[in-house]
Amino acid sequence: MSKKDTQKEVVLTPKKVYNFCSKKKLILGVVIGVLLVFIAGAVIQGIHLAIEFKGGTLITYTYQGEINTNDVASTVKDIVGSTVVVRTGESLDSGGKQVTISFTSDQGLTVDRQTELTTALRDKFTENELEIYDSNDVNPASGREFLLKCLVAVIFAAIVVIIYIAIRFRNIGGWSAGVCSIFALCLDLLVAFATTVVCGFNIDSNIVAVFLTILGYSINNTIVIYDRIRENRKLMPKASLNELINVSCTQSLTRSIRTSITTIGTMLIVTIVVMVTGYDSLLSFSVPLMMGLISGTFSSLFVAPVTWSWWMNKRAAKGKSSK
Amino acid sequence: MKKTGKKTFFIVVAFIAIFAVTSVLGIDKLYGDNRTTYVKGVDDIRLGIDIKGGVDVTFGPAGDFDADEAQLDSATEVIKTRLSSLGITDNEVYSDTKSDRIIVRFPWKVGESNFDPESAVKELGEMAELTFRKGTDTTTDAEGNTVPSGEIVLTGDDIASAKSQYLPTDDGKDLEYVVSLELKSDGENSGKEKFAAATAELMGTETPISIWMDNTMISAPRVNSTITDGKAQISGSFDADSSKKLADQINSGALPFKMETKSFRTISPTMGEGSLDAILLAALIAFVGIAVYMIFLYRLPGFVAVIALCGQVAGSIAAITGWFGFMNGSTLTIPGIAGIILAVGMGVDANIITGERIKEELRTGKSLDAAIKIAYKRAFSAILDGNITNVIIAVILMGAFGVPDSFFSKILNKTIFFAFGATAEGVVYSFGFTLLAGVICNFIFGVFASRLMVTSLSKFKCFKNRKLYGGDTK
Repeated sequence: MSKKDTQKEVVLTPKKVYNFCSKKKLILGVVIGVLLVFIAGAVIQGIHLAIEFKGGTLITYTYQGEINTNDVASTVKDIVGSTVVVRTGESLDSGGKQVTISFTSDQGLTVDRQTELTTALRDKFTENELEIYDSNDVNPASGREFLLKCLVAVIFAAIVVIIYIAIRFRNIGGWSAGVCSIFALCLDLLVAFATTVVCGFNIDSNIVAVFLTILGYSINNTIVIYDRIRENRKLMPKASLNELINVSCTQSLTRSIRTSITTIGTMLIVTIVVMVTGYDSLLSFSVPLMMGLISGTFSSLFVAPVTWSWWMNKRAAKGKSSK
Repeated sequence: MKKTGKKTFFIVVAFIAIFAVTSVLGIDKLYGDNRTTYVKGVDDIRLGIDIKGGVDVTFGPAGDFDADEAQLDSATEVIKTRLSSLGITDNEVYSDTKSDRIIVRFPWKVGESNFDPESAVKELGEMAELTFRKGTDTTTDAEGNTVPSGEIVLTGDDIASAKSQYLPTDDGKDLEYVVSLELKSDGENSGKEKFAAATAELMGTETPISIWMDNTMISAPRVNSTITDGKAQISGSFDADSSKKLADQINSGALPFKMETKSFRTISPTMGEGSLDAILLAALIAFVGIAVYMIFLYRLPGFVAVIALCGQVAGSIAAITGWFGFMNGSTLTIPGIAGIILAVGMGVDANIITGERIKEELRTGKSLDAAIKIAYKRAFSAILDGNITNVIIAVILMGAFGVPDSFFSKILNKTIFFAFGATAEGVVYSFGFTLLAGVICNFIFGVFASRLMVTSLSKFKCFKNRKLYGGDTK
């Protein structure tokens, strides 16, 4: 019965079709803009790798009474210069309260540096009777391998996704569509990464979660648009590619915006709640993710379909001239 | 397809409600002081070290042993794999080559009062080394311990894989748990060859081959025949747990040196105490916001979407607690929460795509029934492709970072990730796990259940008004 339906289907083109395909310059501008922001951020802020990826030092002190971890962190930060994570705990074999300080360092911690640190902390927290308990320089070997493996996993996933899109969207030229969707994804990831760098967040395992989420979300977004193009191809066999893309994007516009409001809104709520309650460490998760989602909405409507139309038109022109 | 009647709506809602309540609250019974948990609820979720904090253990080589960097690295990998085998997918492992330390942090098991961090630590670091020896001779070492002294036939390194099995005993009358070993069979001096040579030598003699975990003898069977097929079995007084544990330990590889615990303490969460409350508060606000938004935009289908989303969130919770009997629970970490957010986002998206489609189809002048039917049908291709790509991503991540013994890991580690050790990284696995579970729930609730509910509601006379579906009044 579905076949009958499609045959007598009236194609209801939207009253006003927005011309998405004419926005090539806008896309180029955005890509260059993001790159510039990223480079500027990297130069000004520097890229802060977390201890698991860069290596660093873990020092544990025993203490008495109550200790304010934020004050400890800022004292240590003044001396070592890099981001400091302070965690408290209790020894299970000997009892007693302990505070563990971890920070990244390039050459490990010399004895002098460690003494300087201990003296500074003792001066500041005289009532806590700080005693050094344990000190370790940790190496980043396993953390780096983890990052590398993540990268390989993501690239492999991208290839499989391209193949999947190529098969499912073969009637509209699947391979190029697949590659363009990954291109759009790269922009989203760059935006999220640039946000992390510009805000001066640590590159820790949270960023891996952010990247993976954007990976899934961005591709889903692009596919919804492609799906509309695939459907319209059947309904409007005579339309040019650009017309097709413009109609499809316009039809999907409401859905794209409405879905984005829910996802971006969710991350906005998370960001606000985190800021109000003071768990700032979650910001390195919610803010880059929010920016990536905003970019995902833009790139699925503009970057993927427009670069794809550019590619297909170029190929068509080449085919004609070679004849 | 079967006719969807008026009753269907109530049946679906009842199912979702039961599912949601049980997955949040869990089902347990109190007999005196014993709590028997049938279905795990939210209280049973193991929270990640980033959210809840946990235990921090420092391991080092026992005695004066000086480990080189390669040994320390391989010990680190073994510990990571063991953590995953224990179901502790969330952990931080650091190594310090200067002082030969390995620092391991893993979360408390929440809601289980009998979780014993000390025994978990023992399983991680102070794991005994497996040896097969000729005879059962022992001597006494410098510290006065009784240690085996028989000539070593095999060590843990000679074993390709181990698994726990429930097999008939030798006399065939009873069943017992055993650990079956597959020996390595590559090269001349492989485990298979060594074992064949030793069994040939000892066949028919009074000298047994003894099997030891460190200084404890598990069993000492006589050799009745030469074993050349590279298969061996360890039987002893195993139960289901202990045989699985031994098999897991053998599979994760032997430590290159003996380790001992240097220090052992609790540690506060990376994200700060109470960060979970902040996340939950944000999730609640966001969910209410989305509910209002969906009902406002799509009216009746929007209302149905909210019910479906409740089911989906419950499904994600159920996946983490291990509600479904066939799969283990997981650890909830920040990346795991990201996976849930993505999956729920996709669920909202599925409902929005369908809601928009219903509006569109109504505008072309179709009847209500036809519009709903076609809208769900058309929307499905987009939802299907979008979700399948996420399944692909989730499966690859779970394979790349899961326990090396699992199905996907076996395939991926030998092909794509051959250059890497078979590391198990809990945080990424946790993301893949919640994403996969969420996407499956998306098909069940976001597509199937919501179609049943909308179709069923449209049969009621009072819900026949096209305006309720976002259509015009004509």
